[in-house]
Amino acid sequence: MTRYDAIVIGAGHNGLTAAGVLARGGRRVLVLEKNAGLGGAAAGYEIAPGFQAPRYAHLLHAWHPQIEKQLDLAANGLSFARRDLPTLALAEDGAHVVIEGGAARLLSGAAHPDAAAYATLHRRLVRFAGVLSAKLLETPPQFHRPDWRDLASLAKLGFDVRRLGAADAREFLRVLLSNARDVILDEIGDGPLAGALALDAVMGGHTGPRSPGTALTLLYRLAQGGGRHLPKGGMAAFCTALAQSAQSHGAEIRRSAGVAAVTVENDRVTGVLLDSGETLGAPVVLSSLDTRTTLALTGVEHFDAEAVRRVRHIRCKGATAKLNLALSGLPAFTGVDPDDLTGRILVAPSVQSLETGFDAVKYGELPAHPALEVLIPSRLDPTLVDGGGHVMSIIVQYVPYHLKDGWTAGARERLAATVLDLLERHAPGLRSLIVAQDVLTPLDIERETGAPGGHWHHGELAVDQMLTLRPVNGMARYALPVGGLYLCGAAAHPGGDIIGAAGHNAARQAMKAPQTKTEGHAA
Amino acid sequence: MSGRYDVIVVGAGHNGLTAACYLAKRGLKTLVLERSDWIGGAAVSRELYEGWTYSNCSYVCSLLRPEVVRDLDLPRHGLQVIPYESGATFTRDGGYFAYYSDHDALRREISRFLRRDADNYERYARAVMRQCRFIKPLLMRAAPDPVSNRPRDIAELLFLGKRFHDLGDREMGETIRFWTMSIGEFLDEYFETDVIKAHFAGSGIIGTGLGVYSPGTAYVLLHHYMGEVDGTIGAWGFTRGGMGGVTQAMARALIEAGGEIRAGAGVAQILSKDGKTKGVVLDNGDVLEASTVISNMDVKRTFLNHVEAKDLPDDFVKAVKRFKIRGSSAKLNIALDGFPSFPAAPAGAPFLKGDLHASESLDELERAYDDWKAGRWSSDPYFDMLIPTCIDPTMAPPGKHMMTVFVQYAPYELASGESWDGPARDRMAETVIAKIAEHSPDFRDLILHKEVRTPWDIEREVGLTEGNIFQGELTFDQMFFNRPVPGYADYRTPIKGLYLCGSSSHPGGGVMAAPGANAAREVLRDLGMKVSGLTPAERAA
Repeated sequence: MTRYDAIVIGAGHNGLTAAGVLARGGRRVLVLEKNAGLGGAAAGYEIAPGFQAPRYAHLLHAWHPQIEKQLDLAANGLSFARRDLPTLALAEDGAHVVIEGGAARLLSGAAHPDAAAYATLHRRLVRFAGVLSAKLLETPPQFHRPDWRDLASLAKLGFDVRRLGAADAREFLRVLLSNARDVILDEIGDGPLAGALALDAVMGGHTGPRSPGTALTLLYRLAQGGGRHLPKGGMAAFCTALAQSAQSHGAEIRRSAGVAAVTVENDRVTGVLLDSGETLGAPVVLSSLDTRTTLALTGVEHFDAEAVRRVRHIRCKGATAKLNLALSGLPAFTGVDPDDLTGRILVAPSVQSLETGFDAVKYGELPAHPALEVLIPSRLDPTLVDGGGHVMSIIVQYVPYHLKDGWTAGARERLAATVLDLLERHAPGLRSLIVAQDVLTPLDIERETGAPGGHWHHGELAVDQMLTLRPVNGMARYALPVGGLYLCGAAAHPGGDIIGAAGHNAARQAMKAPQTKTEGHAA
Repeated sequence: MSGRYDVIVVGAGHNGLTAACYLAKRGLKTLVLERSDWIGGAAVSRELYEGWTYSNCSYVCSLLRPEVVRDLDLPRHGLQVIPYESGATFTRDGGYFAYYSDHDALRREISRFLRRDADNYERYARAVMRQCRFIKPLLMRAAPDPVSNRPRDIAELLFLGKRFHDLGDREMGETIRFWTMSIGEFLDEYFETDVIKAHFAGSGIIGTGLGVYSPGTAYVLLHHYMGEVDGTIGAWGFTRGGMGGVTQAMARALIEAGGEIRAGAGVAQILSKDGKTKGVVLDNGDVLEASTVISNMDVKRTFLNHVEAKDLPDDFVKAVKRFKIRGSSAKLNIALDGFPSFPAAPAGAPFLKGDLHASESLDELERAYDDWKAGRWSSDPYFDMLIPTCIDPTMAPPGKHMMTVFVQYAPYELASGESWDGPARDRMAETVIAKIAEHSPDFRDLILHKEVRTPWDIEREVGLTEGNIFQGELTFDQMFFNRPVPGYADYRTPIKGLYLCGSSSHPGGGVMAAPGANAAREVLRDLGMKVSGLTPAERAA
């Protein structure tokens, strides 16, 4: 039996990040991936011959620069087609808004009436997000018997809050658990600008801008300033860089190697059993799968009843779908110069429209007007398409996982039609450019990536499932109750988006435990 | 006419009267001014139809702090609360789920639906009770300012931290979860039966502009559970003679302590000079002097209508304007010619004496909320319906009955642009009556008189902004040290000598009297009077 110091289940960006950190710590690491391709939810694929598209996630959002440095991603081939993409928020009446960080203006060149208020709000929120973003790369503290590190972390948080100054500190404590709608609309009028900010708060989640707690998810998105970056070569290139970074330090990656079980003896992991029947030994197993699947692979009999019950109750209803298009040419957006199509294009005309979209999804219905985040990555990175043409990647917010009458072929067509109708209002003739299209419902995303409910955070990012409560109360420090078993994916703190923090933190936590090096296998 | 007082309280609601009582008992010359011709604010009994007494705003009692009841000796002044020990939710298939405060009876009832739910009820009840125990000591204390360096604030924060830490590892996490979860998701963790979840969920939304799946509503449930009747935690009861019985007893206690109450004396303006309180001007032009004025009105009404804005810092005014007081409820008070029949209920069913509902799933409740968000009253509303005359015969002539129906949701502003004073009022009432009649075929014919109270009526008559029964949404961003305005959670305001004592302040709404008692204590502190020994909670602090 081949033995490793650590086995990582899943070659998503968190799994690869964990492998990179472990390999750099001198561990002999093996990454096992069920699919033939790498990347999990960060994967890229060929949607049609010669068209490279991001399959699920299409941008690096709040990607942590410290991890980028630690894993030498630049040396491993990661470069950016563009950092800090601008946002074009489309308006029904044609008064489109261009947003670059805290600066908002109308596409027509005129000043946006709320520009000053938006700048102030954005500056304040980014400042508040800064206070919290230090916690992204930390293991959540334990309150009851805190060690010096926990105390230092809590003290630092308290200090950072106080350092905002009395007025801002009070505002921070008020806003923290508020809802996105009130935080935004208290300052600026409802419209595409407010809608863009609110979409940041709710995207990927099963929540509406009126739901308390969405102010915190907005701050989560604004960590590192909220910039979104497009890797050169697309998401596939990003995953390749992550994989190379791990391999350059000796990590092995095996594709098409699904894990059938995590093997346990005397409440400690001993390795994994592959679908092929092969067993692999390791004293440490890190799972980038969601919590429930990880428990199921390990065997629920190894966990106490309360832990199992909690895990069963993790909320993870995905509300986000994906539509990928290969286009024969660049679509023309009414009133928009092709040069302005290089960033995110949002169809989220107001905070109110988002809330209405969420209302439908609560009852398993498809909203008439879902919100869209559209990206034409080939506009910035022509290498993605051989010859002419473009790829368009559309994240569709507010598509139910449990569609009332099921995800039949007709329902999927209806979803595509709804999205295309919505886009045709702004880009007439879009349909005639389509060479190939892929509809990915939350159910498809679950089947392909393993993300439960198709939820891209592997569990709703809500206050009661965050920090010391992520994934559940009592398991928040990456280590699960079975010795040597760790969670290293979006299910763990701090959650999803392409941040890499969960993988990084879990690997660090795993290396702290004394048993993570097998005798005679030092790298 | 003019006069001089040590303390003037603006508004004779239960909190205003409570604050006045505590201060009068310490020998301060105290005057309570009330705009209406009657006292009581939202805790009133009024005869609006001959022979019938309506509790026409608040309608049941539980949250009233026992410390206040004891300190003011309210039972001696006539307060009598009679618990009701059951309730029910009717379902469209002609069935019902009954709630009993008797543990075994409730277990048997839940088992009728699902044995597993009955087992889980034990865990559920323990979880909620633990949270009740955690929150109770926080109710009768001023919330600390987390960014202040005053020794008192730091001591209070340490007290809080210690209490939290004492919960232990597991419960600390559970407490954060409970306080931040939605009632729907909390119940989903324990129960599978829709009607059982719907029955319990009602308490999580009453009075709020939130739905059963809005995070934070589990706390709202707690807010309705942390009261007690005669030491039975979570119990609710009828006040003999209607909810006015609470404020009438307080008024008697106040008079006995030497205080004065003037009804029909609305305050036009609270006077201040150089940042200090000088007194009040009445609507009739009379000036009454006092260096301490306590406002029982909500924070918006107090500062946006009755205080000169130039005396207030801009940031403060902005924060007051931003404070969310959203109208979400309506009410029907109905005089009945006899007891309506409920065919689903077995003969003599005890639960008919308690709170009756007809919302049978969380989705139904959530859709009712969606209507409100869209600016419509709920087409399939949630209601909390009681017939207090089952227990308190003083409220209607013999053989007749009085029914109170609390309705959720009704927006303050209708998206259609209609006025609540037009046909909309009756259409809304009809929506509710039709839903009740689905479960009681003879109900419609028994109606002798009905009073329909829209958010506009509640605002106009009681003075609650938008008709919000809590004087401000009970969401995290408006609770504890954030209530009503961060930095002013200690009942004080930017104007020296002006205090808030209404439900806009910590710990919020319900006929609790805690804000009134807490505000009185801060006044005493500022006047340099000893506060120790004032209340049992104080002694504990």
